[in-house]
Amino acid sequence: MLNVFASALADIRAGLRLRRVWMALAHEDIGDQHRRTTLGPLWLLFNYLAFAGTFIFVFQRGDASTPHYSAYVATGLLVWFYMMETLTQSVTLFVREENFIKGTTLPLSTYVMRMATQSVMRAGYAMVGCLAILALSDVTFTAVWGWSVLAVILIILTAPAAITLFAFLGAYFPDSQFLVSNLMRIGMFLTPVFWTPGGHGIRNALYYYNPFTYFLEIVRIPILTGNVPVRSFMLCAAIACALWVVALVLLGRLRKQVVFVL
Amino acid sequence: MVSLSAENLGLTYRLRQKFTFRPKDKRMPTGGRIGGKGRTRFVTALDGISFKLNAGDRLGLVGSNGAGKTTLLKVLYGIYEPSAGSVEINGRVDALFNIRLGFRPEATGRRNIVLRGLINGWNENEIAARMDEIIGFSELGDFIDLPFKGYSQGMAARLAFSIATAMEPEILLMDEWIGAGDPSFQDKARARMDELAEKAGIIVLASHNHTLLQKTCNKIMELKGGKMVYFGPLNEYFK
Repeated sequence: MLNVFASALADIRAGLRLRRVWMALAHEDIGDQHRRTTLGPLWLLFNYLAFAGTFIFVFQRGDASTPHYSAYVATGLLVWFYMMETLTQSVTLFVREENFIKGTTLPLSTYVMRMATQSVMRAGYAMVGCLAILALSDVTFTAVWGWSVLAVILIILTAPAAITLFAFLGAYFPDSQFLVSNLMRIGMFLTPVFWTPGGHGIRNALYYYNPFTYFLEIVRIPILTGNVPVRSFMLCAAIACALWVVALVLLGRLRKQVVFVL
Repeated sequence: MVSLSAENLGLTYRLRQKFTFRPKDKRMPTGGRIGGKGRTRFVTALDGISFKLNAGDRLGLVGSNGAGKTTLLKVLYGIYEPSAGSVEINGRVDALFNIRLGFRPEATGRRNIVLRGLINGWNENEIAARMDEIIGFSELGDFIDLPFKGYSQGMAARLAFSIATAMEPEILLMDEWIGAGDPSFQDKARARMDELAEKAGIIVLASHNHTLLQKTCNKIMELKGGKMVYFGPLNEYFK
């Protein structure tokens, strides 16, 4: 097992040495996706604001039951879109990179980091929209918001592990791209992105038994309530560790095998 | 001193049935020998390959399609990990497989040179040092600052060739001899390839073109079904 971890870490070290490659490619990817459009990557900001604005306008009740609703939706959508896009795109990562994997000796972590960087860049545009909504909403900036920043960092650090896992899943189980894509679409309604807990039992169960909830909470709670959701933080850190262990095992065991299944 | 050797090199991989809801994954490997049954089938792509090359050696790989030539090149380059035996390499290995890999249609020719350079493992100084030479050799002139997708096929081939051959290889692996462009550029490309081959300490070239191999190589390895059936001097092989 030690050899497996050593192999995975060797891949990651080699990938980190090639950071200029994946950063350049991620930058090109974002540029290519919006080239020849008037707004360019600002479309990412526009999309986010359109979604957030619609949810806030349609679902805000204006009573005391949903305080700071606009901030609730703004933070929820920011985290959810990041996770949804990252996971959905990850499933096809190695399949998309087939020619590179079969034609170069670039470590697999290069592709993972390219994808992770691209997701962070895309989320960066949405974050500008999120900060604008927060500035216009009725939440008060406090030092506790620093915990939300830590939460964002934790989520970003978890992403490469999740990308690795889902990329292998997609390579060995081609149907998973449709399963994951559909699950994530449905997941938006099963995760408290724009709805709040309470009411009947199913909604509460969806809130508390959904791991995505806690990744939303660690960003959202410090901003909305000024409290630190310690248990949610611990749970997310545990999920992150578990994902990294699985990702390292997969990378160590399969990094030289995946070329044969593509 | 550059050298390249393999000892009892083998590559066997499992022919995986993908977990899919489709009735059966009918994809088959392009070469090698298939063994096993049902879900435990495996492909023996290379079997018991042993050879040693020293500085100045030019090895030609021959064999029918699926014999294992490209697979051997990919094992030597490090894309495939051998399942048996070992490879010992002293020297930096460069490969010319798919020279058009990774070109971005929306990016300019100049940006593509930077991106390809980074993928090749060059640092920024190395890219900058080679930039003018690559642009000059490709004869693209002012087109270098226009998007790659606007290039004609010949222009794209000239740029790809110019970048791919802008290196100083110690050990050079080639899957077929590459050429590019219109007749006038082809002469230039031929001269560049000769120069590259001359500079390289060791060359391994897979080709079906025996005339080319006789002109370029001093040793031949013939593969059949992943096994080495001949390894020795070129003169004896073509005698």
